[in-house]
Amino acid sequence: MSSMIQTIDLTKKFGDFTANDRINLDVQEKEIKCIVGENGAGKSTLMNMLYGLLQPTSGKILIRGKEVAMHSPIDAIANGIGMVHQHFKLVPSLTVYENILLGTEIRVKKGGFSTPIVNQKEEIRRVEELIRENHFELDPMDKIEDISVGGRQRVEILKMLYRNVDILILDEPTAVLTPQEVDELMVTLKGLKEQGKTIIVITHKLREVMELADSITVIKQGKVIGNVLKKDTSEKELAQMMVGRDVMLTVDNKRDKPVSREVVFGVSHLSTVNDYGKEVVSDVSFQVHKGEILGVAGVEGNGQSELVKLMTGLMESTKGTMELEGKDVTNWWPARLRKAGMGIVPEDRYAQGLCRDMSIADNCIAGYHGEKDIVSHGLYNQKKIREKRDRFVKEFDIRIGDIDGNISSLSGGNAQKVIIARELSADPQVLIACQPTRGVDIGSIEFIHRQILKFRDQGKAVVLVSSELSEILSLSDRVIVMYKGQISGEICPKEVSTAAIGLLMAGISGREEENS
Amino acid sequence: MELLGNILYDTVYHSAPIILCAVGGMFAYKANVLNIALEGMMLNGAFVSVLTAYLTNNIWLAVLAALVTTLLWGLVFSFLGITCKGNVIVIGLGINLIVPAIAKFILKMMEMANINLSEMNVASFKINIPLIQDIPLVGQILSGHPPTTYLAFVAIVFFAVLMYKTRFGIYVRVVGENEDSAISLGIKTNRYKYAAVLIGALCCALAGIDLSLERLAMFTNDMTAGRGFIAIAAIYCGQGRPVPSALYAILFGVARSLAVNLSVYAGPAAGLFDTIPYIIMVTVLAVVSYVKFRGVKVRGFKLDQ
Amino acid sequence: MKRDGKLTKAILNSVLPVILAFVLGGIIILALGENPLETYGILIRKSLFTSKGFMNTLHYASPLILTGLAIAITFKANIYNMGVEGQMVLGGFFAGIVGAYLPEMNSILHKVICFGVAIACGMIFALIPALLKVKCRVNEMVVTLMLNYAMAKTLEYLTTGVFRDLSAGYVATPTIKESAMFTRVGTSRITMFTVLVLIILVIMYFVMKKSKLGYEITAIGKNPEFAEAAGMNVGKKIIIMMLISGALSGIAGAGWMTSEQFKYTLSFSADPGLGWDGMLIALLGGHSPVGVLIAAIFYAVLKTGSDNINMYTSVPKEIVAIIQGMIILFLAVKFISDNTKLFERFKKAKKEAA
Repeated sequence: MSSMIQTIDLTKKFGDFTANDRINLDVQEKEIKCIVGENGAGKSTLMNMLYGLLQPTSGKILIRGKEVAMHSPIDAIANGIGMVHQHFKLVPSLTVYENILLGTEIRVKKGGFSTPIVNQKEEIRRVEELIRENHFELDPMDKIEDISVGGRQRVEILKMLYRNVDILILDEPTAVLTPQEVDELMVTLKGLKEQGKTIIVITHKLREVMELADSITVIKQGKVIGNVLKKDTSEKELAQMMVGRDVMLTVDNKRDKPVSREVVFGVSHLSTVNDYGKEVVSDVSFQVHKGEILGVAGVEGNGQSELVKLMTGLMESTKGTMELEGKDVTNWWPARLRKAGMGIVPEDRYAQGLCRDMSIADNCIAGYHGEKDIVSHGLYNQKKIREKRDRFVKEFDIRIGDIDGNISSLSGGNAQKVIIARELSADPQVLIACQPTRGVDIGSIEFIHRQILKFRDQGKAVVLVSSELSEILSLSDRVIVMYKGQISGEICPKEVSTAAIGLLMAGISGREEENS
Repeated sequence: MELLGNILYDTVYHSAPIILCAVGGMFAYKANVLNIALEGMMLNGAFVSVLTAYLTNNIWLAVLAALVTTLLWGLVFSFLGITCKGNVIVIGLGINLIVPAIAKFILKMMEMANINLSEMNVASFKINIPLIQDIPLVGQILSGHPPTTYLAFVAIVFFAVLMYKTRFGIYVRVVGENEDSAISLGIKTNRYKYAAVLIGALCCALAGIDLSLERLAMFTNDMTAGRGFIAIAAIYCGQGRPVPSALYAILFGVARSLAVNLSVYAGPAAGLFDTIPYIIMVTVLAVVSYVKFRGVKVRGFKLDQ
Repeated sequence: MKRDGKLTKAILNSVLPVILAFVLGGIIILALGENPLETYGILIRKSLFTSKGFMNTLHYASPLILTGLAIAITFKANIYNMGVEGQMVLGGFFAGIVGAYLPEMNSILHKVICFGVAIACGMIFALIPALLKVKCRVNEMVVTLMLNYAMAKTLEYLTTGVFRDLSAGYVATPTIKESAMFTRVGTSRITMFTVLVLIILVIMYFVMKKSKLGYEITAIGKNPEFAEAAGMNVGKKIIIMMLISGALSGIAGAGWMTSEQFKYTLSFSADPGLGWDGMLIALLGGHSPVGVLIAAIFYAVLKTGSDNINMYTSVPKEIVAIIQGMIILFLAVKFISDNTKLFERFKKAKKEAA
């Protein structure tokens, strides 16, 4: 065994911020190395440097013992390094084979010269061969936009294998997969290891680490915290190393009174289609009661985003109705929904929740910018708006460098707190919260969780949509699971195992389980 | 019969420059650097070719000068828009305003209202295709056009192959659709954006030459009269695909040809016939977009659809 | 402190392109064998530094302020409404028709009718692309450009045919009645129309900076998805913005008709047209009302000064149009962005290209 990749004091700074601080990494030949750490710990920065997408500020990268300088992915591929990104770098309107050969097209040859025309037949033949060799299930002629997420990932892997890499980096490969697809991926990766490939997997899911890894490197706040072999460690020890304290989720979810029977918000038979006319939410019905948190779980991409858009007025339904406090609010626009008592924490913080290029104060009134409390004589009263902002900052512990700056100057956690402050201060009856703690630091997560629980304890209703199962399970009073746009089951979080939820997330309903 | 022949001949005649602009401009559209300077670039081609021919009496030099100067505008557009990351719409508008200003400035310096190449015989540019020209009606329509007109129709096929069958075409589409994926494979995206803009510039120059030099042997101010924008409308209608875009360009040619040929019978309302092509394009654009977005349930707007 | 920094950057971003364009223009003038400084001196001296000249400049700036605002209110929301020119000439044309064909009457009433008709025309003409954008999602830029051409042709037809004043020696509509005309104040060309424009400017300042609509326009321009999620019905707002734009353009057209032209000719809007000038003014003024005011005055100086260039030097006045074109080109590039300097950005772009 010898070192495939070594980094020596590798450092990357973005301005004053040090994303990677003197990282020393050692990846052995033919091993599966897992790099674990929380969101924002600097894992992706490290990998982007190994793949030539970022240039190190200082330090060295050694491949097979030789120092290399990589200026672009081309250099990385030439050195035998391939990467499968978390957000797939595929072109949806092109076919599988076109995507795999992108950048290395085979061209028609005439009399020893290659013409500019692409030899599509030969390309398809090679890709078919590659698919067969690896026992993948793919049709080279399919367009990327038509195939499943798991299929897309296989295309990404093939894209790298076609380029004859012997080191494969996967960035959060399981984030978008169903548990079953995850298992398939594990088999694939182990198979590749057998073939002699070296594999680096970035993840923060410890269960997968324990199943997959030969050795593990833990990164926290841009620094290497420890290197361990799988046989010498446990899930719990890794968790402690990652967060630097014993337990991750500390919110105390004890309730004083039972859930009321009074329905605040409900949808029935709600359906809608996406841009391509495919039904992405089908016949979804549920109700939320006073003093209840309803969790919506599921693997990402099973209609949760669209469901949230439907509930918050960003999408129109093709079928079904929506009720808020007894009023029919089907297909109302967001402004009217907010007036009717809905608080909205949207999925994408910077696309829908906030405007980066506007000031913090302006963001504090967004959605409620027609309210009378900030207006005098029909015009905005800047003093009142600033007062509102200052109140939010104080009550919600928002940490701000420059109070007159733009939202873009805030960290993810503090930006999210601006949204929470804005939505909760309007005193809604129901809160639709989608991925409320994604990409947020631990301190803010706790704070936000406590705010949501406090809101519930006031006798209000919450619909919590999240892909973090632990978040759903620790906060919710009741959980529904979505699969392919439908509700595949409902559970009580205190009574079921993670495995059972996993089955629901994969679309296997309770009854089928009994039958089998 | 005579009228039908005229209408069809004029359709080919009026379509050609717009086809050239549309199929050339569609590369920039696909590469996500919308070039609305087609109008200005076409005017530049028209102006420089006639000016050079006037000064040197050399047709080839005139064509060369038109191509080179229009490519320079393409470079200005690319440098400001791609390298300096400026707002491409504003840059396009700037070029559309500055080119006619330069033309007027130079005409003023030469103390002329427009340039007339009186010594040149336009008829000598017309290519009469043997055999075909003898077929009744068909010959009348297909034969007797200047070379660039034929080039325009050849360009449809050529650019369709370039867009869908070659590596270059794939890369241009990839750059426009998912720039990240192109970068991750080490494709030099800016290079393809530059190339896309420059192809458009080259085609606009040819369209301009067609309009001024080889048809009328003269240049008048603002003679492109919005053809560049109509080409953009055609690109939008055809969603950047070569053949549909070209068909929409031809549709404009039909409208224009009808307007020209029928206005004779309209008496005093003849002036209004000139508006028909523009109104038809707006209507078609509306219908195409309506059909495209009919089933969309997501509310709201992403800009630059 | 930070606020001031932002403002300085905004001003620099407008001033640098102007300086650069004038330097390049100066090189052209130098090549023609004239002294650029002297030429530029002639360009601005009379129209800026004499009281009569300045009054005239204000007079010419008046419609430009309105077209500039008409563009700014839509461009700020990233709606590329190129129809201001068409909205303006249409409004001006029918103001002229109403001004000429209605009998003499109370002069205020007559003007109110003229302006009312012009506003209605401008709004209707702006409504078409707005509805197409909102209902069919058609690119508003292409539509407005097309409709401008259609409008120009239609008005040409109406002027040469239906409404032609046969007693005039050239193509024109009849002169408007005395009661529809603004009277000049003192010896300069300035009229009460300028006062009206300044009042509208103040109103627009409050609309854009202090009102709910202004907030929404800013939000839509910066991030339409966010705007939608924050409860703004973007489609509805686009229609409102376009209607305001149409109304402002209509007023500009009516004002130009009743304070300067008095009849519609084929060169009513001059070259390249008050609407197109408005675009440069809006860009130069950074889409803010105060910026538009300054830019419009600057522009009017160039416009009136260009005649003086023609008179006193051998440089054709078209040089001004070239300089204006260059200003737009350079305005497209933000020389100093919020975070990085141009130089750094250039380096970065180079790296990406490599």
